[in-house]
Amino acid sequence: MYVVIVHTYIHNKPTFIHISPLSLHHLPFDFMNSSEMEPRINHLQIESQVHELLDYPVCTNQITSTIYQCSNDYTGEVNNDKEKPYNCPYSGSKCTATGDIRWLLQHLRNDHHVEMHDGRSFSHRYVHHNPKHLHHATWMLTLLDCYGRQFCLYFEAFHLKKTPMYIAYMQFMGDEEEATSFSYTLEISGHGRKMTWQGVPRSIRDSHKTVRDSQDGLIITRKLAMFFSADNTNSKELKLKISGRIWREH
Amino acid sequence: METESMDCESYGTHHFSSTTKTHAVVTNTVGPAATSVYELLECPVCTFSMYPPIHQCQNGHTFCSTCKVRVHNRCPTCRQELGDIRCLALEKVAESLELPCKYFNLGCPEIFPYYSKLKHESLCNFRPYGCPYAGSECGVLGGIPFLVAHLRDDHKVDMHAASTFNHRYVKSNPREVFHCFGQYFCLHFEAFQLGMGPVYMAFLRFMGDEEEARRYSYSLEVGGSGRKLTWEGTPRSIRDSHRKVRDSNDGLIIQRNMALFFSGGDRKELKLRVTGKIWKELHSPDSGVCMPNMSS
Repeated sequence: MYVVIVHTYIHNKPTFIHISPLSLHHLPFDFMNSSEMEPRINHLQIESQVHELLDYPVCTNQITSTIYQCSNDYTGEVNNDKEKPYNCPYSGSKCTATGDIRWLLQHLRNDHHVEMHDGRSFSHRYVHHNPKHLHHATWMLTLLDCYGRQFCLYFEAFHLKKTPMYIAYMQFMGDEEEATSFSYTLEISGHGRKMTWQGVPRSIRDSHKTVRDSQDGLIITRKLAMFFSADNTNSKELKLKISGRIWREH
Repeated sequence: METESMDCESYGTHHFSSTTKTHAVVTNTVGPAATSVYELLECPVCTFSMYPPIHQCQNGHTFCSTCKVRVHNRCPTCRQELGDIRCLALEKVAESLELPCKYFNLGCPEIFPYYSKLKHESLCNFRPYGCPYAGSECGVLGGIPFLVAHLRDDHKVDMHAASTFNHRYVKSNPREVFHCFGQYFCLHFEAFQLGMGPVYMAFLRFMGDEEEARRYSYSLEVGGSGRKLTWEGTPRSIRDSHRKVRDSNDGLIIQRNMALFFSGGDRKELKLRVTGKIWKELHSPDSGVCMPNMSS
């Protein structure tokens, strides 16, 4: 007999749900296919059930779920979510490294060769000589260091129902609760036009794919990106300059 | 720049290709000989000016290439069977002809050789504007004050004497005109399908020419839940059709899901707050600025 304890994070406050034997596909997430979740199942006494919590409206902005094995003895201890290791934010789904923030920063620098920039303001140029050949979901990660914390700046090219798009967004290397204390802007300008996105960095507890698919960032069609890239030559190169800054709200 | 007026286009309520008037001016400015040549260059079938290749039948009757296709191989004047005879002599004589722009009565002072007249007229700054109403293909032409009244009276467009706005859109496709700085601006807000699915787009057009439009800027902003999207841009002249501006993505574009997210509440209905303002740029537009073609 198998019982699963679902440990969900809702606004970073752990909520325990004890459930009676349930086939796994009744759970709100597709745990088996997600590389971020590693379900481990153990023998357990059935406790009281709180079924209705499984009907919690799924807002992928807020909830990260992990299944832990635990026995009655450990129920009190599973709230050290701040020390729970983070997944490497470079991955998407390929790099399976996990660790704390300090370790991840070294890992990103040494193994993934990601650049880190100091300061709350930044300005980056994304250049590609032939944007039509940019692979689907190519992404570039830059790390930003300010307020004693680190942020991941992503720039991705992808297709949304056959329309080539670009998206730029920020994620916070830390937990959601702290992430919401920051805000950031991203700005593209040129030829008398300017597009500005102001947002709240998502925690890296959310995979970069989740954030990209929720379009929680500066999103721009390739057509508009090429307009911003245009110069006096007739080249069809992508030359996007994205500027921005991060600040702490409270 | 869209080619807006060719000789063969219908004009709605305004007819500027009245041949009588043109002839009068031709006589006054270029002499009677030119008048008769100009008359010869008028197709007897469709009455529009003929351009190479100009055709003729065996008896010498001329007609334009558009009409040649329509007359089923019979001369429209004498009903003789047609060959493939070209009237090269007339084409060459036309080369030497110089004529005033057909918008002379709207103020255009220029005179052009016959073969470049048409090109100029499609871009002539004195040519009338087309009604900027988005949606139906309203063919009305006229000057700006006329079109403003037409929008207000015939299309029931809301008029606002202001340069800022703060609207809550609960449906798309409202029509509004803003009157400020002595000018008129058309604000568009509509839903359409971009390749990526349903989107909303908001943009501003200027009732006037592109050169003057560049003296103004506008911003549009939507937001909610700690997020905000802002667009700043130059209003497009109504010389560019509403569809052309829309397809060039020159405005605030927001995916429908994001618009619903910003709408708050149960996020199922559109209740999008859009704020914006129009202002006049203090410095004159940089003549060196390269304005890339925004159409695909």
